[in-house]
Amino acid sequence: MLQQRCFHCHEPVPAGTDFHCEVFAETQVFCCAGCQAVAETIVAQGLSDYYKFRSKAASKANAVPAELQAQLTSYDSAEVLQDLTQQVGDAQRIELSINGMSCAACAWLIERKLQQNSAVQRVSVNSGTARCELVWNAKTAPLSQILGQISELGYQASPFVADLEEQNFQQELNAYLKRLAVSGIMTMQVMMLAFGLYFGEFTGIEAQYEGYLRWVSLLMTLPVMAYAALPFSRSAWRALKARQLNMDVPITLALYYTFIASLYATVFDTGEVYFESVCMFVFLLQLGKFFEFRARKQARDATSNLLKVMPVSATLWDGEHGTATSARRLQSGDHILVKAGETIPADGIVESGVSSADESMLTGEYKAVSKQAGDLVLAGSMNHDGILVVQVRNALTESRLGQIIALQQQTLHQKPAILEKTDRIARFFVQRLLVIATATFCTWYFWIDADRAFWVTLSVLVATCPCALSLATPTAVTCALAQLNRKGILIKNQHVLDVLPKLSKIFFDKTGTLTQGRFSLTDVQIFTPLYDKAQLLNLMANLEQQSEHPIARAFSPYLQQALPLEGVSLTVGAGLSGVYQHQKLRIGRPDFCGLNPQDPRLAGAQVCLSINGELAATVQLADQLRPEVSTLIPALQQRHLKLSILTGDASAAAPAVATQLGINELWQGCSPEQKVSAIQQSVQAGETVLMVGDGINDSPCFHAAHVSVALDSGTELSKNQADVVLLHNDLQQLQTLIDGARRAHLVVRQNLWWAAGYNLVIIPLAVCGFVSPYVAVIGMSCSSLLVVSNSLRLLKA
Amino acid sequence: MSIIYVLIPIAVIFVMIGIAIFFWAVRSKQFDDLDKEGFSILFNEKPAASTPPAENTPPSREP
Repeated sequence: MLQQRCFHCHEPVPAGTDFHCEVFAETQVFCCAGCQAVAETIVAQGLSDYYKFRSKAASKANAVPAELQAQLTSYDSAEVLQDLTQQVGDAQRIELSINGMSCAACAWLIERKLQQNSAVQRVSVNSGTARCELVWNAKTAPLSQILGQISELGYQASPFVADLEEQNFQQELNAYLKRLAVSGIMTMQVMMLAFGLYFGEFTGIEAQYEGYLRWVSLLMTLPVMAYAALPFSRSAWRALKARQLNMDVPITLALYYTFIASLYATVFDTGEVYFESVCMFVFLLQLGKFFEFRARKQARDATSNLLKVMPVSATLWDGEHGTATSARRLQSGDHILVKAGETIPADGIVESGVSSADESMLTGEYKAVSKQAGDLVLAGSMNHDGILVVQVRNALTESRLGQIIALQQQTLHQKPAILEKTDRIARFFVQRLLVIATATFCTWYFWIDADRAFWVTLSVLVATCPCALSLATPTAVTCALAQLNRKGILIKNQHVLDVLPKLSKIFFDKTGTLTQGRFSLTDVQIFTPLYDKAQLLNLMANLEQQSEHPIARAFSPYLQQALPLEGVSLTVGAGLSGVYQHQKLRIGRPDFCGLNPQDPRLAGAQVCLSINGELAATVQLADQLRPEVSTLIPALQQRHLKLSILTGDASAAAPAVATQLGINELWQGCSPEQKVSAIQQSVQAGETVLMVGDGINDSPCFHAAHVSVALDSGTELSKNQADVVLLHNDLQQLQTLIDGARRAHLVVRQNLWWAAGYNLVIIPLAVCGFVSPYVAVIGMSCSSLLVVSNSLRLLKA
Repeated sequence: MSIIYVLIPIAVIFVMIGIAIFFWAVRSKQFDDLDKEGFSILFNEKPAASTPPAENTPPSREP
């Protein structure tokens, strides 16, 4: 029988389930209650068009757990809202980032659903960036209601505050669009007039009409020069002021020289005009820059959901009742309540309660740290299984998390600089070009033919016009970015491709990067004849299902079928107990299971299972290496890259990983500051350094390295700060990245060689006056086309 | 041919209007999401929530 697939998410429908719903007058099956509920909502609201026009299946919908719903209500507090929204008249404006959007139809679905809410004044969902801009009246509908409505459709929405840099990016992109429009539309007009002039050249044209067409062309070219070409002239001017030469200098020089020559020809009714070349040149360059910029902006948007890591809301505790407040407003001395599974909102001391906290993102330590009264907890770490009452010691900005973020801002401006290769070539090229052009002009003016001097110099400038040279790098970079993007590698800074071919050293974070950052079972010993190994593991998985502890999650892959357990209870920090077929089961620490911890059979075991007080099994757990790492490391060593591990973990696990992988250099027990200095040492020693990490504690050293790479499973902060994000969580993609950069480098070199070779041929001809400006324009266009199509090859690779 | 003294200025005016409209469109965020706008024409402007959805759909049903 054919495997049935869920109508909503297209995932296989598990056998023995029956979730169905009427859509388009036909009964459709679903994989889970979540998908079914979403489909029912969609049909009931008359939005079933979504299923007709969507281009991709939806992501699997999970029913909203009550816990999440409670978290949503914490957004309703006036203080939290004030931090997140802006007042627009009597309504509030907020930006939401939405998880689970797969195509444009999703955007339509969310917009329609929210528009049916009378409190919503305006809603606009951007399917590219998965963001939603919402203006609504918070008095008539609380934010939690609106977020709840979005989750009814199977998406998770969370408030989001765009940082300043992103707003600048958007403005810049709009400016690019406008310039592109001006230069594009004007190019069409001027080109049309130029055709009139071309034909006039062959069939004869009356002088008055020729003059008229030239004047109109001049008029149309003015906005292109004054507005669209502005970025080039500005950049050239900045470079000249700093006594430097960059690629924009020859561009600007050629533009202005050609424009002024044409202006002169128009006003004094002599020579030739090249307005169409000026416009076309500006348009093509803008087009390349626009695509490059847009690719980078998309990569940046996709990863910049910064605020998720900063705990947004907190629960103030007065001894009996909790009130929601904004984490930013917590003061030293406040008492807060932290529930299981919540992020701890501030640094503080535990007053009461027992739990364990995951601090791996801050310290690199992968084992959960147990917390009881008197212990210190850190903002940004995750509370696992117990409820804690914490006395706040530091406000969020002075917390350890805040310090790390401050350190990272500090390192932001210390990014090691690499002189761009094209700039070096530009300097070389421009110097020679200026000398040749001046020499040509003088030679023709004084010795050969003073009348032709101006026009020969022009043809030298136009023929050597740095169009091909200046397109060589951006087109190749854009194509390489697009190609790597398609493979799931997001590149946010374009310099990455410049630097990677020179790479000499890679620093790896250990926890969560080389390792999986979570426990998995390494050894299971059986001491009972009653069950075999699979049955015991299934039994343990059934028990551990009731716990949120990271150790408990290691058992979930072994869950095969649900068993009827009775009276399951959880003892925080110790283990779980329950009854199965009249047998008393206890799983957890040895003393919790009623066993003697000195028993030799328990050596090395972290978890034991006892049945009626008798030892049944022991389990060893460890943070295992990612499966791809064992092949990746030798492959990288073959490329003669130096490898090093940089970890905050001070335990014996770090040297063990290093020996297992054959990595000689190990820095362990490092604070974020020490990590930064370790990388800076290498940079000063002349290495080109790449840093791979995933934690908050890695993000400061991301700026210290030449290139930084984060994994999609890492913290939001690390993804936000990294130059590159590997979306598929596959470290093997490091090789794809390096290869992609090398290929891009190769194409850039081919392009540069072609442009240089073309110039070597054309310059002598132009200097001798054999190249009329028309021929020069054709030559320039052809060489540009060749460069662009060479770059396009990168897309197919 | 002197007609071009009239026609070209008219064309220039149209170009100016075109650019002005484009600038307005960029400013009013119409270019922020190019994927969604392409889809918007496919959907019914007013979803008829009261009538059963089956009646809204064309008879051709895909399996």
